[in-house]
Order: sequence, then structure tokens, then C-alpha cells
Amino acid sequence: MKNRIEEIRNEKGIKQEDFAKLMGVSRQTISSLENGRYNPSILLAHKIAAYFGMAIEEVFIFEEE
Amino acid sequence: MYYNNKRLALSIFWMVLGIVLIILNMTDVLDQSIYSGMGSALTVVGFFQAMRNLRYRKDKDYREKIDTELGDERNSFLRMKSWAWTGYIVVLAEGIGVVIAMITGQELLCRVLSWSVCLIVGVYWITYMVLSRKY
Repeated sequence: MKNRIEEIRNEKGIKQEDFAKLMGVSRQTISSLENGRYNPSILLAHKIAAYFGMAIEEVFIFEEE
Repeated sequence: MYYNNKRLALSIFWMVLGIVLIILNMTDVLDQSIYSGMGSALTVVGFFQAMRNLRYRKDKDYREKIDTELGDERNSFLRMKSWAWTGYIVVLAEGIGVVIAMITGQELLCRVLSWSVCLIVGVYWITYMVLSRKY
């Protein structure tokens, strides 16, 4: 699953570390999410989307394999 | 809050138990050296756990770090995945061990390893059944 976390985070000028603190996860988790190595739980996806003020599908792009 | 009074009490209990074992060994009540080693290990583990607990209470940055590490979902995912891989590798290694022990005629080792594989598979099925009822 692709996502636009890095793009939106950069637009908002938030550092990876600060964003991780806001989401209550480690910086490595945010890094893994941005690189597409790790897919978040629905709770974290919801939290991230809510923080950006967007719908989940605007942040996370589901691709059928 | 990960480190609480219960965990501190448990750390102190390990330390006291360790010291009691060392004393009993030194006074020849328990005469095997294994108790002395066990006592030392328990004392050291209890001491370090208690120190971590106290640091967690006093140091705000450390508390945040520990809480983030333990609450981080990727960390939980990695821990679960690591346990799963450990299980697969152990069962596979034991399976290979059974075949090698059979070929080399080490009957006791073969039997012990076979039972161990059976035990792991049995525990797996029990935990699977329990979890499937829960979720």
C-alpha cells in the first residue's frame, strides 16, 4: 500500500521525529511507513489521516496486487 | 505506565530471593553451587530492574522513550514476527536433529528431540484454539 505521509508531512513542515511523537510511535515506524516497508494498523492510519484533516483514502492509496 | 509499584515489588522480591539463596549456600544449608549462581543472577537482575524502574519514575525523557517503545505498533509487530520465526527455526532445526540422530543411532537424543517437536506443535494448537475463541 502506497501512502502520501512524507509528501503531506513535508508540506506541513513537520519533522519526522516530531510527527512520530505526535502519533505516539517511534521515528523508525514513521520512516518505515514512508518507505512503504510497513503498513499501519487501521487505528494508526485513522490517527494519521485525522491529524492531517483528511480521509484515510486520501493519505493511503490501496493497490490490489 | 510500564514500570509501576507491582514491578518494583517484584524486582525487590527477586533481589531478596537471590540474597537468601546466596546466604543459604554460604551457610551450607544448600550445598550445591548452582544455588549460589542462581542467587547471584537473581540479585543482579532484580537490582537492574529496580534501577530501571526508579529511573523511569524520575527521568521524563526516559519514561517517554520506554512508553513509545512499548506502545509502538511496529515494535509489537516485530516482536510477534520474531517469535514466529524463532518457532519455525527451532522446529525445523529439531526436525533436522531428529533425522541426524536417527542416522547416527543416538536413540535417546532422537526421542528427546521428537518429543520436543510434539510439545511445540501441541502448544501451538492449544494457543491457536484459545486465540481463535478470543478473536
